[in-house]
Amino acid sequence: MSGVAKTAVSVEEGGNQCRKRSLHTNDQCNNKRSKSDEMSANEKKSNFSMLTSNSNGTVMMMAKPGASAKKLVIKNFKSKPNLPENYQETTWSKLREAVIAIQTSKAIAYSLEELYQAVENMCSHKMASQLYVNLTNLVEAHVKANIEQFLSESMDRQVFLKRMDDCWRAHCRQMIMIRSIFLYLDRTYVLQNPSIHSIWDMGLDLFRHHIAMNTLVQTRTVDGLLLLIEKERGGDAVDISLLKSLLRMLSDLQIYQDAFEQKFLLATERLYAAEGQRLMRELPVPQYLAHVEKRLREENERLLHYLDHSTKWQLIHTVERQLLSEHLSGILSKGLEALMDGPRLSDLSTLYSLFSRVKDGLNELCNHFNAYIKKKGRTIVIEPERDKSMVAELLDFKEQLDHVVSACFQRNERFTYSVREAFEHFINQRQNKPAELIAKFVDVKLRAGNKEATEEELERLLDKIMVLFRFIHGKDVFEAFYKKDLAKRLLVGKSASVDAEKSMLSKLKQECGGGFTCKLEGMFKDMELSKDINITYKQHLAGSGSTGAGSGLELSVHVLTSGFWPTYAVAEARLPGALAAHQDHFAKFYLAKHSGRKLQWQHTLGHCVLRAHFAQGNKELQVSLFQALVLLLFNDGDNLSFEEIKANTNIEAGELRRTLQSLACGKARVLGKWPRGREVQDADTFAFNNDFTNKLFRIKINQIQMKETSEEQKATEERVFQDRQYQIDAAIVRVMKMRKALSHNLLISELYNQLKFPVKPADLKKRIESLMDRDYMERDRDNPNQYNYVA
Amino acid sequence: MSGDDCDALDRGDSDGQKSDKMFTLKKWNAVAMWSWDVECDTCAICRVQVMDACLRCQGESKKDSYGKQDCVVVWGECNHSFHFCCMSLWVKQNNRCPLCQQEWSIQRMGK
Ligand SMILES: [Zn+2]
Ligand SMILES: [Zn+2]
Ligand SMILES: [Zn+2]
Repeated sequence: MSGVAKTAVSVEEGGNQCRKRSLHTNDQCNNKRSKSDEMSANEKKSNFSMLTSNSNGTVMMMAKPGASAKKLVIKNFKSKPNLPENYQETTWSKLREAVIAIQTSKAIAYSLEELYQAVENMCSHKMASQLYVNLTNLVEAHVKANIEQFLSESMDRQVFLKRMDDCWRAHCRQMIMIRSIFLYLDRTYVLQNPSIHSIWDMGLDLFRHHIAMNTLVQTRTVDGLLLLIEKERGGDAVDISLLKSLLRMLSDLQIYQDAFEQKFLLATERLYAAEGQRLMRELPVPQYLAHVEKRLREENERLLHYLDHSTKWQLIHTVERQLLSEHLSGILSKGLEALMDGPRLSDLSTLYSLFSRVKDGLNELCNHFNAYIKKKGRTIVIEPERDKSMVAELLDFKEQLDHVVSACFQRNERFTYSVREAFEHFINQRQNKPAELIAKFVDVKLRAGNKEATEEELERLLDKIMVLFRFIHGKDVFEAFYKKDLAKRLLVGKSASVDAEKSMLSKLKQECGGGFTCKLEGMFKDMELSKDINITYKQHLAGSGSTGAGSGLELSVHVLTSGFWPTYAVAEARLPGALAAHQDHFAKFYLAKHSGRKLQWQHTLGHCVLRAHFAQGNKELQVSLFQALVLLLFNDGDNLSFEEIKANTNIEAGELRRTLQSLACGKARVLGKWPRGREVQDADTFAFNNDFTNKLFRIKINQIQMKETSEEQKATEERVFQDRQYQIDAAIVRVMKMRKALSHNLLISELYNQLKFPVKPADLKKRIESLMDRDYMERDRDNPNQYNYVA
Repeated sequence: MSGDDCDALDRGDSDGQKSDKMFTLKKWNAVAMWSWDVECDTCAICRVQVMDACLRCQGESKKDSYGKQDCVVVWGECNHSFHFCCMSLWVKQNNRCPLCQQEWSIQRMGK
């Protein structure tokens, strides 16, 4: 290689430093995009053609590795050889001949080395500027001549595009060859004159000016491209490489944005606006969502395959806007309910991921999700016919929602919160009932005989129930009903497990504080104290030698603290002498230990074990006290009328009727009734059924329960409301005692924190007034908005 | 009405004991409710039922309080009764029964 060539190499390296450009492999086809393609488009319009992959013998022009930019010295001409006359003309005509041969695809009569040398020589002899002008004119003439083929009146679009592509490819190919011959010109003259285009750029400029910017040609080209894309979007197979090549041409000519992109985006917008409208009507939501996903995937592929990457954001955004943003609430109101009801998890995941792409998408989704929960939840809670399954349905509903949030909504906090907010809202739309039913649900689970769950399962279930409980505003309503059921479990020994009971209690305590559970805890304490009392009573009996009534009857008593337990109606009954004596004996013993107290016997809650002697053998009967009182009468007389039994036991008529029914009309008929029949009439008579048989020895005869009447339920509720007054008073005193002085507003907000049931500010105000009357607190003398605690 | 059936609990041997009575009561599990033996079940000082702790004691909300031991009832010679806590505060200002104005002296304490 000559020293001059080496110099040129060095210069090129320096030149690259200051005029970094993207390089394209414009010969053959543009098969691979280099990173530099994506470089900013605002660089000066100029392109160096690719030198490295040329296949036409210009390999020698390649930069040598190791050639350093520091050696950038342009060696000047050693001496000026004398030139022959007409040197310029003859040399140019040689070059001209070569260029025309290239442009017409003919063989070049000279060696490339010779031509290259000719250019170098001309440049060395200050003919560079003339040479550049000549070359420009030559290229311009050729490009100009090419326009004709694109102007004919009618031409098939496809043929037009094909021809345009051919023309463009030919232009690139030619310019690459021309440039390699005129390389020396590029590297000396062009480099030294910043205002002069490189040969490659000059070619582009001429192509742009004479062909691409021709209004008719440009319109035909761009419309043709748009039509092809429209076809492809419609599902037709099109010539992707043609699309890609022509779009690349527009980019290289720097008219991609102005000539193509705007029109393209507009067409995209129109297409998807119409498609969105149409498919929203025609398709069910899941299919619509799948379609949107497909469209987005396709457009991304289009970007990979032929569109310029700079279009990406606007293109995807346009699709999202037309197919999603425009239809957010349409999609949700049409489809969310069905998706949630399913629940169709994968569709919900798709919904979430699509909606998270667009502005306000998740907002809208969350709002509709919230409204869905409130609507559906309300139907679970509000209809009395569904009361039986309310709690189970609520638990299922909650679990399903939690699952959707974690499996489909990426555990988004906003949705988790929304579930809670909606639950709290709808569950309190029906007053008291949900609280009551939750309490009853717990009762069923804690009752003995509930074998459906292991300890751990029960524990998990209780935790879930606590979640529901948390949403309930009237927590004291829950407490009242819970207490009633707990009392039954404790007194009848029907509790499944002490551990489970204690666990539930500690959950309630944790949730609502000790004040909420202290009475419930008191009930457990009463049970323990009763056990102790009965032991000491037995010891007392043994010590005194007395057996109470001397009948071999074993008495044990549950002594309950009134106030802790539910209130029971007091039922009268006349006890036989022996029982009455025994009862009095115990009372004396108890009251001696606890001065200042009195005992109220709760006969409805008592139960007994009777030994019965039938002809077929002895049996042990487990009965209520009332059942026992009735049966014991038959020791002294065989045929007894209803009236006689009533007079002897003093049991209230309705209660007695039920008692007799259980003994004479149930499964274990230890009494006979005349006349026969399921109902007990006033004129009926009863007799001991000596022929009673049963394969079992121990028999429990269930008392017939009065169904919990709505009046009783109302009574429970009323007690709750009365109790609220005390609760409010206690809370006010508690707060004031701690804070000593407090403004009205602060006091009210403290109270709202502490009270476990809904209250109106006016009610609070009334209680505050009442406490001031009673000298628990007073209004501050200087500040009427402040209260002071009175010790 | 519902649930008139018998639960069979287990098989037992019939004991051969003969008795002339058809039914013998073996066991009685009774239930009784205790309350303070007072004429008026509301404490006139704090207007809370005497079975409940007085307002101030409720305010304490002692975590493991079972109530009564902490806030018992006191009877005066006049037989009027109050929370002991309430009365203790009352007599500091006025050593008379708030209901009958008799001089206050304790007859007995609840236990
Ligand atoms: Zn009091
Ligand atoms: Zn007290
Ligand atoms: Zn008095």
